[in-house]
Amino acid sequence: MRKKTSSVFFLTMSMLVLLILVASYLHITNGVFDMSVMDVIKTLLRIESNSKFDLVIFEFRLPRIVIAGLVGIGLGMAGVVLQGITRNGLADPGILGINAGAGAAVVIFMFFFQLKLVSADMSSWLSILMMPLFGFIGGTIAAVLIFSFALKNGHLDMQRLILTGIAINSGFGALSLFLSLKMSAQDFESAAIWMAGSIYNANWIFALTMLPWLLILGIYVHRKSYLLDYFQLEEDSITSLGIAVEKEKMKLLLASVGLVSACVSVSGSIGFIGLMAPHIAKQLVGIQHRYVMPVSALIGAGLLILADFIGKTVFAPSELAVGIVVSIIGIPYFLYLLVKSKA
Amino acid sequence: MKKTNIVSFSILAVSPFLIALVALISVMYGTKDISALTVWQSMTAFDPSNVDHQIIRTGRIPRVAAVLLVGAFLAVAGAVMQGITRNYLASPSLMGVNDGSAFVITLAIVFFPGLPNYQMILLSMLGSALGAGIVFGFGSLIRNGLSPVRLAIIGTVIGTFLSSIATAIAMYFQVSQTVSAWYNTKVHMVDMDMLILSIPFGLTGLILALLSAKAITITSLGEDIAMGLGQKTKAVRIISMLAVVCLTGTAVALVGKIAFVGLVIPHITRFLVGVDYRYIIPCAAVIGAFFLALCDVLSRVVNYPFETPIGVLTALVGVPFFLYLVRKHGGEKRA
Repeated sequence: MRKKTSSVFFLTMSMLVLLILVASYLHITNGVFDMSVMDVIKTLLRIESNSKFDLVIFEFRLPRIVIAGLVGIGLGMAGVVLQGITRNGLADPGILGINAGAGAAVVIFMFFFQLKLVSADMSSWLSILMMPLFGFIGGTIAAVLIFSFALKNGHLDMQRLILTGIAINSGFGALSLFLSLKMSAQDFESAAIWMAGSIYNANWIFALTMLPWLLILGIYVHRKSYLLDYFQLEEDSITSLGIAVEKEKMKLLLASVGLVSACVSVSGSIGFIGLMAPHIAKQLVGIQHRYVMPVSALIGAGLLILADFIGKTVFAPSELAVGIVVSIIGIPYFLYLLVKSKA
Repeated sequence: MKKTNIVSFSILAVSPFLIALVALISVMYGTKDISALTVWQSMTAFDPSNVDHQIIRTGRIPRVAAVLLVGAFLAVAGAVMQGITRNYLASPSLMGVNDGSAFVITLAIVFFPGLPNYQMILLSMLGSALGAGIVFGFGSLIRNGLSPVRLAIIGTVIGTFLSSIATAIAMYFQVSQTVSAWYNTKVHMVDMDMLILSIPFGLTGLILALLSAKAITITSLGEDIAMGLGQKTKAVRIISMLAVVCLTGTAVALVGKIAFVGLVIPHITRFLVGVDYRYIIPCAAVIGAFFLALCDVLSRVVNYPFETPIGVLTALVGVPFFLYLVRKHGGEKRA
């Protein structure tokens, strides 16, 4: 039985990697400036360099694909953790308001430090590296607020959790809007991107900023993912297994807030990936979290690259923020889950 | 006289003064302060060459009038919705009504550009009906879907969906800016023509709401009691939803999406005047008007000389109130 699950797991993983490659291929060859496969391969492998192709691929499309992939991985994993610890299949960092909290903190940060995203000198590097940290603080504040409001007699009420998320979302949204309107026109532009959930101004600096967070926290939640299996049991049974439930839950929650914040600080608020990816993953490889976690990460990456591709090509020459594409796909799925879930 | 009557009559008696006061403040203060005397002169002895008079006549007065009307409309719409659904979280902005309007307006701008204003209001109302129809339809399809919390979740999600689709359509047809000018809060640039048109539509809604007030009170007591008293529940629902559609459709057409007024004001009103919708509806109207006008004044003050979107102010009051409601009532029914 175990052998079968693991072979299904490896098969799924390879299919997903293939899917991501196909999505990336579509993404990299299409756009305002179409390129042939050969052009892309030649440029990537440095066989024949052409400064025009170099610019398009290395400065615009590749960082964007990489960031979409990384953000998808982060949100996919964070979604698994949140759904696991709340035991609520409808939990998603966007719906719960963690995105909004992190986003507001990033906007506050931009407001006070007025970073110039284009220049890459030392001080701006430092401040860009600080952004996920600020996002983390905001995300944590949001998470604390949500849980303190949703906690009733010591346990989490699922529906209250989502409702509180709705309120937190509009509260932080209003705060971000208020601050962004006080900014200079240039900063407002970048703040607007954070609020809409978009990655069109991706660059390598952003990818580097989120990478350490993703690596450290990603590995951490993956290693701890077996705990999520236990959390599905009744409270009493877990305690009898000798696990410090509340402590472990808190650590996992903070890790997932960290993942979300790193994602939000580069791409803004993108909802529903953290909702969809874990569900699809469970459909594919069953309920064991050590399998669900990596599969969900890859599904998140694939979905987001695909959504970004849709957003940039279908609506050309204008671009639709990837967050909106994801909502249009994600909301029917959310409603479907709501119909299926027990009352 | 019962206590309810005294409270509601005193609210109705005091409110004209308070509303007049906040309206006067609203007209006097802004990016350019204008004295009360000039305001008076602009009304009595209008001088077209005087810039202050022009500002008052074309900018400030339409603005405050719009805010007062919309405040009243949204508050009454919220009260009616909470009454007939017996759902303490029912409100135009949570139940997809606002977003439905915006959605249909987007379609209209894309496919039938240049429609006259009154048709836009009608379409906006159609959109309200569509949004509410989808949310309640979906809610009644799923188990327990009409319970307060579930309905609020469904409403929010479907609202987000409609507005995402609207954004996508606007983007695709490259009319984002026109659309955004239509339904993002735009109290600072109220269209005079639209303002005048909104009065008959809004009044229709208010009258329908007042006419069904007694029936709403009975409905709000519970399905069984209402049936026992021989009430035609279906007819009541249809008429009162019609009122909601008129009121929110007009409000969105006039100033755009403003959240939380329709949620918070009915609760405050019920707290003050009790459970009788014959009193709740008129009192909610005046309290809502006062509240939104106050928010509008504050929106110009908090970040002087820049204006803050009025939605930020309503959220400032609305979000904590919403959390309080969720905390207090949780999943139970009761409006």
